[in-house]
Amino acid sequence: MIVLDKVDKIFPGTTVPAVKQVSFQVDEGNICVFVGPSGCGKTTILRIINRLIEPTSGDIYIKGKKVSDKEVNPDHLRREIGYVIQQIGLLPHRTVEQNVALVPRLLKWPEERIKPRVKELLDMVGLDSNEVIHKYPFQLSGGMMQRVGVARALAADPPIMLMDEPFGAVDPIVRGRLQDEFLRLQKEMKKTICFVTHDINEAIKMGDHIVIMNKGELVQHGTPMEILTEPANDFVKDLIGVDREIKLLDLTRSSEIVDRNKEVLGETREKDCFISALDPVQRALETMMKNDSDIVVVRDGEKEIGTICWGDIKKLINKLSGEA
Amino acid sequence: MDFEMERFISALIDRSPPHALVHLQLVLIPVIIAFLIAFPVAVLLTRRRFVKYTDRVMTFFNMGQTIPPLAIIAVFFPFLGLGREPALFALTIYALLPIARNTLAGLKGVPQEVKEAARGVGMSEWEMLMRVEIPLSMPVVMAGVKISVVLTSGTAALGALVGGGGMGAVIFAGIDFFRPELIVAGTLVIGAIAIILDRIITLIDYMLTPPHMKM
Ligand SMILES: Nc1ncnc2c1ncn2[C@@H]1O[C@H](COP(=O)(O)OP(=O)(O)O)[C@@H](O)[C@H]1O
Ligand SMILES: [Mg+2]
Repeated sequence: MIVLDKVDKIFPGTTVPAVKQVSFQVDEGNICVFVGPSGCGKTTILRIINRLIEPTSGDIYIKGKKVSDKEVNPDHLRREIGYVIQQIGLLPHRTVEQNVALVPRLLKWPEERIKPRVKELLDMVGLDSNEVIHKYPFQLSGGMMQRVGVARALAADPPIMLMDEPFGAVDPIVRGRLQDEFLRLQKEMKKTICFVTHDINEAIKMGDHIVIMNKGELVQHGTPMEILTEPANDFVKDLIGVDREIKLLDLTRSSEIVDRNKEVLGETREKDCFISALDPVQRALETMMKNDSDIVVVRDGEKEIGTICWGDIKKLINKLSGEA
Repeated sequence: MDFEMERFISALIDRSPPHALVHLQLVLIPVIIAFLIAFPVAVLLTRRRFVKYTDRVMTFFNMGQTIPPLAIIAVFFPFLGLGREPALFALTIYALLPIARNTLAGLKGVPQEVKEAARGVGMSEWEMLMRVEIPLSMPVVMAGVKISVVLTSGTAALGALVGGGGMGAVIFAGIDFFRPELIVAGTLVIGAIAIILDRIITLIDYMLTPPHMKM
Protein backbone atom coordinates (compact mmCIF):
# COMPACT_ATOMS: atom_id res chain seq x y z
CA MET A 1 0.00 0.00 0.00
CA ILE A 2 2.72 2.48 1.05
CA VAL A 3 6.28 1.82 -0.06
CA LEU A 4 9.37 3.88 0.63
CA ASP A 5 12.41 2.99 -1.43
CA LYS A 6 15.85 4.11 -0.23
CA VAL A 7 14.66 7.51 0.92
CA ASP A 8 17.23 10.10 2.01
CA LYS A 9 16.55 13.54 3.39
CA ILE A 10 19.26 16.09 4.02
CA PHE A 11 17.77 19.41 5.10
CA PRO A 12 19.28 22.46 3.42
CA GLY A 13 22.07 23.94 5.53
CA THR A 14 22.75 20.64 7.31
CA THR A 15 25.23 17.88 6.56
CA VAL A 16 23.90 14.99 8.65
CA PRO A 17 20.92 13.32 6.95
CA ALA A 18 17.67 13.50 8.96
CA VAL A 19 16.58 10.31 7.17
CA LYS A 20 19.10 7.89 5.72
CA GLN A 21 18.40 5.13 3.17
CA VAL A 22 15.05 4.24 4.67
CA SER A 23 13.02 1.54 2.90
CA PHE A 24 9.90 -0.17 4.19
CA GLN A 25 6.43 -1.22 3.21
CA VAL A 26 3.12 -0.76 5.00
CA ASP A 27 0.46 -3.33 4.08
CA GLU A 28 -3.14 -2.38 3.43
CA GLY A 29 -5.28 -2.21 6.58
CA ASN A 30 -2.26 -2.34 8.89
CA ILE A 31 -1.02 0.02 11.56
CA CYS A 32 2.71 0.55 11.12
CA VAL A 33 4.25 2.26 14.12
CA PHE A 34 7.48 4.27 13.87
CA VAL A 35 9.23 4.43 17.18
CA GLY A 36 12.51 5.92 18.32
CA PRO A 37 14.01 8.74 20.37
CA SER A 38 13.19 12.37 19.70
CA GLY A 39 14.92 13.72 16.61
CA CYS A 40 15.40 10.32 14.95
CA GLY A 41 13.40 11.36 11.88
CA LYS A 42 9.90 10.01 12.54
CA THR A 43 8.05 13.22 11.75
CA THR A 44 10.25 13.77 8.72
CA ILE A 45 9.21 10.37 7.32
CA LEU A 46 5.51 11.17 7.68
CA ARG A 47 6.01 14.55 6.01
CA ILE A 48 7.89 12.89 3.18
CA ILE A 49 4.98 10.50 2.59
CA ASN A 50 2.47 13.35 2.12
CA ARG A 51 5.08 15.55 0.44
CA LEU A 52 5.17 18.35 2.94
CA ILE A 53 8.87 17.60 2.52
CA GLU A 54 10.50 16.52 -0.74
CA PRO A 55 13.06 13.75 -0.22
CA THR A 56 16.64 14.39 -1.29
CA SER A 57 16.60 11.03 -3.05
CA GLY A 58 14.51 7.86 -3.16
CA ASP A 59 10.93 7.15 -4.20
CA ILE A 60 7.55 6.85 -2.53
CA TYR A 61 4.74 4.66 -3.88
CA ILE A 62 1.14 4.61 -2.74
CA LYS A 63 -1.05 1.83 -4.14
CA GLY A 64 1.67 1.17 -6.70
CA LYS A 65 1.66 4.74 -7.94
CA LYS A 66 4.82 6.77 -7.67
CA VAL A 67 3.66 9.83 -5.74
CA SER A 68 7.11 11.42 -5.55
CA ASP A 69 6.66 12.29 -9.24
CA LYS A 70 6.63 15.95 -10.19
CA GLU A 71 3.27 15.52 -11.99
CA VAL A 72 1.41 14.55 -8.81
CA ASN A 73 -0.18 17.66 -7.26
CA PRO A 74 0.88 17.58 -3.60
CA ASP A 75 -2.21 19.52 -2.42
CA HIS A 76 -4.51 16.94 -4.01
CA LEU A 77 -2.38 14.09 -2.67
CA ARG A 78 -2.71 15.49 0.88
CA ARG A 79 -6.50 15.66 0.65
CA GLU A 80 -6.47 11.87 0.15
CA ILE A 81 -4.27 11.27 3.20
CA GLY A 82 -5.49 11.97 6.72
CA TYR A 83 -2.83 13.75 8.78
CA VAL A 84 -2.85 14.19 12.55
CA ILE A 85 0.04 16.48 13.41
CA GLN A 86 2.13 16.28 16.55
CA GLN A 87 0.99 19.64 17.95
CA ILE A 88 -2.69 18.99 17.00
CA GLY A 89 -2.80 22.24 14.97
CA LEU A 90 -6.52 22.98 15.02
CA LEU A 91 -7.32 26.28 13.32
CA PRO A 92 -7.85 28.51 16.36
CA HIS A 93 -10.20 30.90 14.58
CA ARG A 94 -12.54 28.17 13.36
CA THR A 95 -15.16 26.21 15.29
CA VAL A 96 -14.92 22.47 15.84
CA GLU A 97 -17.44 22.03 13.00
CA GLN A 98 -15.36 24.10 10.60
CA ASN A 99 -12.16 22.35 11.63
CA VAL A 100 -13.57 18.88 11.08
CA ALA A 101 -15.21 19.90 7.79
CA LEU A 102 -11.98 21.35 6.36
CA VAL A 103 -11.11 18.58 3.94
CA PRO A 104 -14.70 17.84 2.79
CA ARG A 105 -15.09 21.54 2.01
CA LEU A 106 -11.76 21.60 0.15
CA LEU A 107 -13.05 18.61 -1.81
CA LYS A 108 -16.25 20.58 -2.49
CA TRP A 109 -18.65 18.13 -0.91
CA PRO A 110 -22.27 19.40 -0.89
CA GLU A 111 -23.16 21.02 2.45
CA GLU A 112 -26.03 18.61 3.13
CA ARG A 113 -23.49 15.79 3.10
CA ILE A 114 -20.99 17.61 5.32
CA LYS A 115 -23.31 18.41 8.27
CA PRO A 116 -24.25 14.80 9.14
CA ARG A 117 -20.70 13.64 8.45
CA VAL A 118 -19.27 16.05 11.02
CA LYS A 119 -21.77 14.86 13.64
CA GLU A 120 -21.02 11.24 12.84
CA LEU A 121 -17.27 11.82 13.14
CA LEU A 122 -17.52 13.65 16.46
CA ASP A 123 -19.64 10.85 17.91
CA MET A 124 -17.23 8.32 16.47
CA VAL A 125 -14.24 9.82 18.31
CA GLY A 126 -16.25 9.90 21.53
CA LEU A 127 -17.29 13.56 21.69
CA ASP A 128 -20.78 14.86 22.36
CA SER A 129 -21.38 16.49 19.00
CA ASN A 130 -24.18 18.77 20.22
CA GLU A 131 -21.99 20.07 22.98
CA VAL A 132 -18.75 20.75 21.10
CA ILE A 133 -19.75 21.42 17.51
CA HIS A 134 -19.92 25.21 17.82
CA LYS A 135 -17.07 25.58 20.27
CA TYR A 136 -13.65 27.02 19.44
CA PRO A 137 -10.51 24.99 20.10
CA PHE A 138 -9.48 27.20 23.03
CA GLN A 139 -12.68 26.12 24.80
CA LEU A 140 -11.70 22.42 24.71
CA SER A 141 -9.50 20.29 26.94
CA GLY A 142 -6.32 18.73 25.57
CA GLY A 143 -7.97 15.32 25.18
CA MET A 144 -10.94 16.82 23.34
CA MET A 145 -8.63 18.71 20.98
CA GLN A 146 -6.80 15.51 20.13
CA ARG A 147 -10.10 13.80 19.39
CA VAL A 148 -11.09 16.68 17.12
CA GLY A 149 -7.68 16.38 15.41
CA VAL A 150 -8.35 12.70 14.74
CA ALA A 151 -11.90 13.45 13.53
CA ARG A 152 -10.54 16.07 11.14
CA ALA A 153 -8.05 13.61 9.68
CA LEU A 154 -10.80 10.99 9.22
CA ALA A 155 -13.31 13.45 7.74
CA ALA A 156 -13.14 12.60 4.05
CA ASP A 157 -12.65 8.91 4.83
CA PRO A 158 -9.10 8.74 3.46
CA PRO A 159 -7.76 5.21 2.97
CA ILE A 160 -4.44 6.29 4.51
CA MET A 161 -3.78 8.04 7.81
CA LEU A 162 -0.55 9.58 9.06
CA MET A 163 -0.65 10.07 12.82
CA ASP A 164 2.21 11.91 14.52
CA GLU A 165 2.14 11.24 18.26
CA PRO A 166 -1.63 11.71 18.09
CA PHE A 167 -2.18 10.99 21.77
CA GLY A 168 0.96 12.71 23.02
CA ALA A 169 -0.51 15.79 24.69
CA VAL A 170 -2.70 14.06 27.28
CA ASP A 171 -2.15 12.29 30.58
CA PRO A 172 -1.51 8.51 30.59
CA ILE A 173 -5.06 7.56 31.63
CA VAL A 174 -6.72 9.53 28.85
CA ARG A 175 -4.06 8.27 26.45
CA GLY A 176 -4.89 4.68 27.31
CA ARG A 177 -8.56 5.32 26.67
CA LEU A 178 -7.88 7.09 23.34
CA GLN A 179 -5.69 4.18 22.25
CA ASP A 180 -8.38 1.62 23.09
CA GLU A 181 -11.07 3.60 21.31
CA PHE A 182 -8.90 4.09 18.28
CA LEU A 183 -8.06 0.39 18.03
CA ARG A 184 -11.76 -0.40 18.26
CA LEU A 185 -12.47 2.08 15.45
CA GLN A 186 -9.65 0.69 13.34
CA LYS A 187 -11.19 -2.81 13.54
CA GLU A 188 -14.08 -1.44 11.47
CA MET A 189 -12.23 1.16 9.40
CA LYS A 190 -9.27 -1.01 8.37
CA LYS A 191 -7.28 2.03 7.30
CA THR A 192 -3.65 1.89 6.34
CA ILE A 193 -1.96 3.85 9.11
CA CYS A 194 1.51 5.22 9.75
CA PHE A 195 1.64 5.96 13.46
CA VAL A 196 4.50 7.77 15.15
CA THR A 197 5.37 7.53 18.82
CA HIS A 198 8.45 7.73 21.04
CA ASP A 199 6.82 5.33 23.51
CA ILE A 200 7.67 1.65 22.92
CA ASN A 201 4.65 0.54 24.96
CA GLU A 202 2.33 2.50 22.70
CA ALA A 203 4.12 1.02 19.69
CA ILE A 204 3.60 -2.54 20.95
CA LYS A 205 -0.04 -1.85 21.76
CA MET A 206 -0.97 -0.10 18.53
CA GLY A 207 1.27 -1.73 15.94
CA ASP A 208 0.65 -4.60 13.56
CA HIS A 209 4.13 -3.80 12.43
CA ILE A 210 6.85 -1.78 14.16
CA VAL A 211 9.68 0.20 12.56
CA ILE A 212 12.41 1.15 15.01
CA MET A 213 14.50 4.17 14.09
CA ASN A 214 17.64 5.78 15.42
CA LYS A 215 19.49 8.81 14.07
CA GLY A 216 17.62 8.76 10.77
CA GLU A 217 18.25 5.08 10.12
CA LEU A 218 15.92 2.11 10.25
CA VAL A 219 17.28 -0.17 12.96
CA GLN A 220 14.78 -3.02 12.93
CA HIS A 221 11.30 -3.77 11.71
CA GLY A 222 8.87 -6.57 12.35
CA THR A 223 5.78 -7.54 14.31
CA PRO A 224 5.71 -6.59 18.01
CA MET A 225 6.34 -10.25 18.85
CA GLU A 226 9.38 -10.38 16.58
CA ILE A 227 10.78 -7.15 18.02
CA LEU A 228 10.29 -8.37 21.60
CA THR A 229 11.60 -11.87 21.09
CA GLU A 230 14.42 -11.07 18.70
CA PRO A 231 15.72 -7.54 19.37
CA ALA A 232 18.34 -6.82 16.70
CA ASN A 233 20.86 -5.06 18.93
CA ASP A 234 21.46 -3.31 22.24
CA PHE A 235 19.70 -0.16 21.06
CA VAL A 236 16.47 -2.09 20.55
CA LYS A 237 16.95 -3.95 23.86
CA ASP A 238 17.35 -0.65 25.72
CA LEU A 239 14.30 0.75 23.97
CA ILE A 240 12.19 -2.24 25.02
CA GLY A 241 13.33 -1.87 28.61
CA VAL A 242 13.45 -4.32 31.48
CA ASP A 243 9.83 -5.48 31.53
CA ARG A 244 10.10 -7.37 28.27
CA GLU A 245 8.43 -10.54 29.59
CA ILE A 246 5.40 -8.62 30.87
CA LYS A 247 5.06 -6.97 27.47
CA LEU A 248 5.17 -10.38 25.85
CA LEU A 249 2.28 -11.54 28.02
CA ASP A 250 0.33 -8.66 26.56
CA LEU A 251 1.00 -9.94 23.06
CA THR A 252 0.04 -13.56 23.59
CA ARG A 253 -3.62 -14.49 23.33
CA SER A 254 -5.09 -16.64 26.08
CA SER A 255 -6.30 -19.13 23.46
CA GLU A 256 -2.66 -19.96 22.68
CA ILE A 257 -1.92 -21.42 26.11
CA VAL A 258 -5.36 -22.53 27.27
CA ASP A 259 -5.51 -25.96 28.90
CA ARG A 260 -8.50 -27.71 27.31
CA ASN A 261 -8.70 -30.39 30.02
CA LYS A 262 -12.41 -30.43 30.95
CA GLU A 263 -11.87 -32.00 34.37
CA VAL A 264 -10.00 -29.02 35.72
CA LEU A 265 -12.71 -26.84 34.24
CA GLY A 266 -15.39 -28.41 36.41
CA GLU A 267 -13.56 -27.66 39.63
CA THR A 268 -12.69 -24.11 38.71
CA ARG A 269 -16.04 -22.74 37.60
CA GLU A 270 -17.27 -21.85 41.08
CA LYS A 271 -14.51 -19.30 41.56
CA ASP A 272 -16.12 -17.01 39.08
CA CYS A 273 -13.03 -15.80 37.25
CA PHE A 274 -13.55 -15.73 33.51
CA ILE A 275 -11.63 -14.25 30.61
CA SER A 276 -12.16 -14.29 26.87
CA ALA A 277 -10.04 -16.43 24.56
CA LEU A 278 -9.08 -13.24 22.70
CA ASP A 279 -7.80 -11.51 25.84
CA PRO A 280 -4.03 -11.27 26.26
CA VAL A 281 -2.43 -13.58 28.82
CA GLN A 282 -1.72 -10.43 30.81
CA ARG A 283 -5.49 -10.28 31.47
CA ALA A 284 -5.47 -13.83 32.85
CA LEU A 285 -2.73 -12.80 35.27
CA GLU A 286 -4.66 -9.70 36.37
CA THR A 287 -7.87 -11.66 36.86
CA MET A 288 -6.06 -14.20 39.01
CA MET A 289 -4.60 -11.49 41.20
CA LYS A 290 -7.88 -9.66 41.57
CA ASN A 291 -9.76 -12.82 42.62
CA ASP A 292 -6.94 -14.29 44.66
CA SER A 293 -7.09 -17.42 42.56
CA ASP A 294 -4.43 -19.34 40.66
CA ILE A 295 -6.69 -20.42 37.85
CA VAL A 296 -9.10 -18.78 35.41
CA VAL A 297 -11.75 -20.11 33.03
CA VAL A 298 -11.36 -19.21 29.36
CA ARG A 299 -14.49 -18.57 27.31
CA ASP A 300 -14.93 -18.34 23.61
CA GLY A 301 -18.13 -16.35 23.38
CA GLU A 302 -20.57 -18.23 25.66
CA LYS A 303 -18.68 -21.48 25.44
CA GLU A 304 -16.16 -22.45 28.10
CA ILE A 305 -13.15 -23.94 26.34
CA GLY A 306 -10.67 -24.53 29.14
CA THR A 307 -8.54 -23.02 31.88
CA ILE A 308 -5.27 -21.21 32.41
CA CYS A 309 -3.39 -21.72 35.66
CA TRP A 310 -0.39 -19.94 37.15
CA GLY A 311 1.86 -22.80 36.01
CA ASP A 312 0.80 -22.27 32.38
CA ILE A 313 1.80 -18.62 32.56
CA LYS A 314 5.14 -19.43 34.16
CA LYS A 315 5.83 -21.93 31.39
CA LEU A 316 5.07 -19.28 28.79
CA ILE A 317 7.40 -16.76 30.44
CA ASN A 318 10.21 -19.31 30.53
CA LYS A 319 9.64 -20.16 26.91
CA LEU A 320 9.61 -16.52 25.81
CA SER A 321 12.73 -15.59 27.76
CA GLY A 322 14.45 -18.67 26.35
CA GLU A 323 13.79 -17.46 22.84
CA ALA A 324 15.63 -14.18 23.31
CA MET B 1 -0.56 87.45 23.06
CA ASP B 2 -4.05 87.57 24.49
CA PHE B 3 -6.43 84.66 24.37
CA GLU B 4 -9.97 85.76 23.44
CA MET B 5 -12.63 83.16 24.11
CA GLU B 6 -14.97 84.55 21.49
CA ARG B 7 -12.35 84.38 18.78
CA PHE B 8 -11.44 80.88 19.87
CA ILE B 9 -15.03 79.65 19.60
CA SER B 10 -15.46 81.28 16.22
CA ALA B 11 -12.22 79.63 15.06
CA LEU B 12 -13.57 76.25 16.15
CA ILE B 13 -17.09 76.61 14.81
CA ASP B 14 -16.85 78.84 11.75
CA ARG B 15 -13.32 78.58 10.52
CA SER B 16 -12.32 74.96 11.19
CA PRO B 17 -14.99 72.73 9.59
CA PRO B 18 -14.00 73.12 5.90
CA HIS B 19 -10.31 72.74 6.81
CA ALA B 20 -11.16 69.72 8.94
CA LEU B 21 -12.79 68.03 5.94
CA VAL B 22 -9.70 68.61 3.82
CA HIS B 23 -7.57 67.38 6.71
CA LEU B 24 -9.61 64.21 6.90
CA GLN B 25 -8.90 63.64 3.22
CA LEU B 26 -5.20 64.29 3.81
CA VAL B 27 -5.27 61.46 6.34
CA LEU B 28 -7.65 58.92 4.83
CA ILE B 29 -6.53 58.99 1.21
CA PRO B 30 -2.81 58.47 2.01
CA VAL B 31 -3.54 55.75 4.58
CA ILE B 32 -5.84 53.88 2.20
CA ILE B 33 -3.37 54.09 -0.68
CA ALA B 34 -0.53 53.16 1.68
CA PHE B 35 -2.54 50.12 2.81
CA LEU B 36 -3.22 49.06 -0.77
CA ILE B 37 0.53 49.17 -1.43
CA ALA B 38 2.11 48.08 1.86
CA PHE B 39 -0.25 45.20 2.67
CA PRO B 40 0.13 43.19 -0.56
CA VAL B 41 3.85 43.95 -0.71
CA ALA B 42 4.34 42.72 2.86
CA VAL B 43 2.27 39.60 2.10
CA LEU B 44 4.49 38.90 -0.91
CA LEU B 45 7.60 39.35 1.23
CA THR B 46 6.46 36.46 3.44
CA ARG B 47 6.19 34.13 0.40
CA ARG B 48 9.17 31.87 -0.09
CA ARG B 49 10.12 33.28 -3.50
CA PHE B 50 10.28 36.87 -2.28
CA VAL B 51 11.69 36.54 1.24
CA LYS B 52 15.13 37.50 -0.06
CA TYR B 53 13.90 41.02 -0.94
CA THR B 54 12.53 41.73 2.54
CA ASP B 55 15.50 43.75 3.79
CA ARG B 56 15.71 45.93 0.70
CA VAL B 57 12.00 46.70 0.55
CA MET B 58 11.76 47.40 4.27
CA THR B 59 14.75 49.75 4.02
CA PHE B 60 12.79 51.67 1.38
CA PHE B 61 9.69 51.86 3.61
CA ASN B 62 11.91 52.92 6.51
CA MET B 63 13.35 55.75 4.45
CA GLY B 64 9.80 56.82 3.62
CA GLN B 65 9.32 57.55 7.27
CA THR B 66 12.73 58.93 8.20
CA ILE B 67 12.85 61.47 5.38
CA PRO B 68 10.56 64.35 6.37
CA PRO B 69 7.49 64.70 4.12
CA LEU B 70 8.52 68.25 3.35
CA ALA B 71 11.83 67.01 1.95
CA ILE B 72 9.98 64.53 -0.24
CA ILE B 73 7.79 67.33 -1.55
CA ALA B 74 10.91 69.36 -2.24
CA VAL B 75 12.54 66.50 -4.13
CA PHE B 76 9.43 65.86 -6.23
CA PHE B 77 8.65 69.55 -6.67
CA PRO B 78 9.86 69.59 -10.32
CA PHE B 79 7.36 66.83 -11.18
CA LEU B 80 4.42 67.49 -8.86
CA GLY B 81 4.67 71.20 -8.07
CA LEU B 82 2.76 72.43 -5.02
CA GLY B 83 -0.77 71.87 -3.77
CA ARG B 84 -2.92 68.88 -2.73
CA GLU B 85 -1.32 66.16 -4.88
CA PRO B 86 2.27 66.43 -3.64
CA ALA B 87 0.95 66.58 -0.06
CA LEU B 88 -1.04 63.38 -0.59
CA PHE B 89 1.97 61.78 -2.25
CA ALA B 90 4.37 62.62 0.59
CA LEU B 91 1.90 61.54 3.27
CA THR B 92 1.30 58.22 1.49
CA ILE B 93 4.99 57.44 1.52
CA TYR B 94 5.06 58.42 5.16
CA ALA B 95 2.19 56.06 6.03
CA LEU B 96 3.66 52.94 4.41
CA LEU B 97 6.06 51.74 7.10
CA PRO B 98 3.80 50.90 10.07
CA ILE B 99 1.39 48.98 7.85
CA ALA B 100 4.14 47.03 6.10
CA ARG B 101 5.99 46.32 9.33
CA ASN B 102 2.92 45.10 11.18
CA THR B 103 1.69 42.99 8.26
CA LEU B 104 5.08 41.23 8.21
CA ALA B 105 5.00 40.74 11.97
CA GLY B 106 1.38 39.55 11.92
CA LEU B 107 1.99 36.94 9.23
CA LYS B 108 5.19 35.74 10.86
CA GLY B 109 3.30 35.36 14.14
CA VAL B 110 0.85 32.78 12.77
CA PRO B 111 1.74 29.60 14.71
CA GLN B 112 3.87 27.15 12.74
CA GLU B 113 1.72 24.16 13.73
CA VAL B 114 -1.42 25.84 12.42
CA LYS B 115 0.25 26.41 9.04
CA GLU B 116 1.58 22.86 9.08
CA ALA B 117 -1.93 21.52 9.70
CA ALA B 118 -3.42 23.72 6.98
CA ARG B 119 -0.85 22.46 4.47
CA GLY B 120 -1.33 18.95 5.81
CA VAL B 121 -5.06 18.86 5.03
CA GLY B 122 -4.27 19.91 1.47
CA MET B 123 -4.85 23.67 1.39
CA SER B 124 -2.99 25.32 -1.45
CA GLU B 125 -0.70 28.22 -0.60
CA TRP B 126 -3.39 30.67 -1.72
CA GLU B 127 -6.14 28.98 0.34
CA MET B 128 -3.91 28.96 3.39
CA LEU B 129 -3.12 32.66 2.95
CA MET B 130 -6.75 33.70 2.58
CA ARG B 131 -8.32 31.39 5.15
CA VAL B 132 -5.64 31.05 7.78
CA GLU B 133 -2.74 33.48 7.62
CA ILE B 134 -4.57 36.74 6.87
CA PRO B 135 -7.45 36.20 9.32
CA LEU B 136 -5.05 35.25 12.11
CA SER B 137 -2.76 38.23 11.50
CA MET B 138 -5.58 40.80 11.29
CA PRO B 139 -5.23 42.19 14.84
CA VAL B 140 -1.54 43.01 14.29
CA VAL B 141 -2.20 44.43 10.81
CA MET B 142 -4.94 46.69 12.13
CA ALA B 143 -2.67 47.90 14.92
CA GLY B 144 -0.29 49.03 12.15
CA VAL B 145 -3.08 50.83 10.33
CA LYS B 146 -3.94 52.60 13.56
CA ILE B 147 -0.37 53.79 14.06
CA SER B 148 -0.34 55.04 10.46
CA VAL B 149 -3.57 56.96 10.93
CA VAL B 150 -2.49 58.65 14.14
CA LEU B 151 0.94 59.57 12.74
CA THR B 152 -0.55 60.89 9.51
CA SER B 153 -3.19 62.91 11.37
CA GLY B 154 -0.45 64.98 12.96
CA THR B 155 1.90 65.14 10.00
CA ALA B 156 -0.89 66.22 7.63
CA ALA B 157 -0.79 69.65 9.31
CA LEU B 158 2.37 70.26 7.25
CA GLY B 159 0.25 69.91 4.10
CA ALA B 160 -0.78 73.54 4.49
CA LEU B 161 2.84 74.65 4.01
CA VAL B 162 2.81 73.40 0.41
CA GLY B 163 -0.70 74.61 -0.40
CA GLY B 164 -2.37 71.32 0.42
CA GLY B 165 -4.81 72.85 2.91
CA GLY B 166 -6.12 71.05 6.00
CA MET B 167 -6.04 72.08 9.65
CA GLY B 168 -2.44 73.18 9.19
CA ALA B 169 -3.86 76.23 7.42
CA VAL B 170 -5.62 77.31 10.62
CA ILE B 171 -2.57 76.70 12.80
CA PHE B 172 -0.15 78.48 10.49
CA ALA B 173 -2.53 81.43 10.17
CA GLY B 174 -2.46 81.63 13.96
CA ILE B 175 1.34 81.62 13.96
CA ASP B 176 1.59 84.18 11.20
CA PHE B 177 -0.91 86.61 12.77
CA PHE B 178 -0.07 85.98 16.43
CA ARG B 179 -3.49 84.49 17.16
CA PRO B 180 -3.11 81.79 19.86
CA GLU B 181 -6.85 81.01 19.55
CA LEU B 182 -6.30 79.69 16.04
CA ILE B 183 -3.28 77.61 17.06
CA VAL B 184 -5.14 75.98 19.95
CA ALA B 185 -8.33 75.44 17.92
CA GLY B 186 -6.37 73.87 15.04
CA THR B 187 -4.46 71.57 17.37
CA LEU B 188 -7.62 70.51 19.17
CA VAL B 189 -9.40 69.62 15.94
CA ILE B 190 -6.40 67.57 14.73
CA GLY B 191 -6.42 65.76 18.05
CA ALA B 192 -10.13 65.09 17.73
CA ILE B 193 -9.71 63.75 14.18
CA ALA B 194 -6.94 61.39 15.35
CA ILE B 195 -9.02 60.13 18.27
CA ILE B 196 -12.19 59.61 16.22
CA LEU B 197 -10.34 57.72 13.46
CA ASP B 198 -8.57 55.64 16.09
CA ARG B 199 -11.95 54.67 17.61
CA ILE B 200 -13.40 53.77 14.22
CA ILE B 201 -10.44 51.54 13.40
CA THR B 202 -10.67 49.91 16.81
CA LEU B 203 -14.25 49.00 15.95
CA ILE B 204 -13.30 47.58 12.54
CA ASP B 205 -10.44 45.76 14.21
CA TYR B 206 -12.84 44.21 16.71
CA MET B 207 -15.06 42.94 13.91
CA LEU B 208 -12.10 41.43 12.05
CA THR B 209 -10.46 39.87 15.10
CA PRO B 210 -10.99 36.10 15.30
CA PRO B 211 -13.11 35.09 18.31
CA HIS B 212 -10.32 33.31 20.18
CA MET B 213 -8.26 36.53 20.25
CA LYS B 214 -11.06 38.72 21.64
CA MET B 215 -10.13 38.62 25.26
N1 LIG C 1 12.81 21.91 8.51
C1 LIG C 1 13.94 21.39 9.03
N2 LIG C 1 15.15 21.96 8.76
C2 LIG C 1 16.28 21.47 9.29
N3 LIG C 1 16.35 20.38 10.07
C3 LIG C 1 15.20 19.76 10.38
C4 LIG C 1 13.93 20.23 9.87
N4 LIG C 1 12.97 19.42 10.34
C5 LIG C 1 13.59 18.49 11.09
N5 LIG C 1 14.93 18.68 11.12
C6 LIG C 1 15.92 17.83 11.81
O1 LIG C 1 15.75 16.52 11.36
C7 LIG C 1 15.90 15.59 12.43
C8 LIG C 1 14.67 14.72 12.54
O2 LIG C 1 13.58 15.49 12.98
P1 LIG C 1 12.13 14.89 13.20
O3 LIG C 1 11.75 14.10 12.01
O4 LIG C 1 11.24 16.02 13.56
O5 LIG C 1 12.36 13.95 14.45
P2 LIG C 1 11.29 13.19 15.36
O6 LIG C 1 9.92 13.44 14.81
O7 LIG C 1 11.69 11.76 15.31
O8 LIG C 1 11.46 13.74 16.74
C9 LIG C 1 16.18 16.42 13.67
O9 LIG C 1 17.56 16.43 13.91
C10 LIG C 1 15.68 17.80 13.31
O10 LIG C 1 16.42 18.78 13.96
MG1 LIG D 1 8.30 14.42 15.78
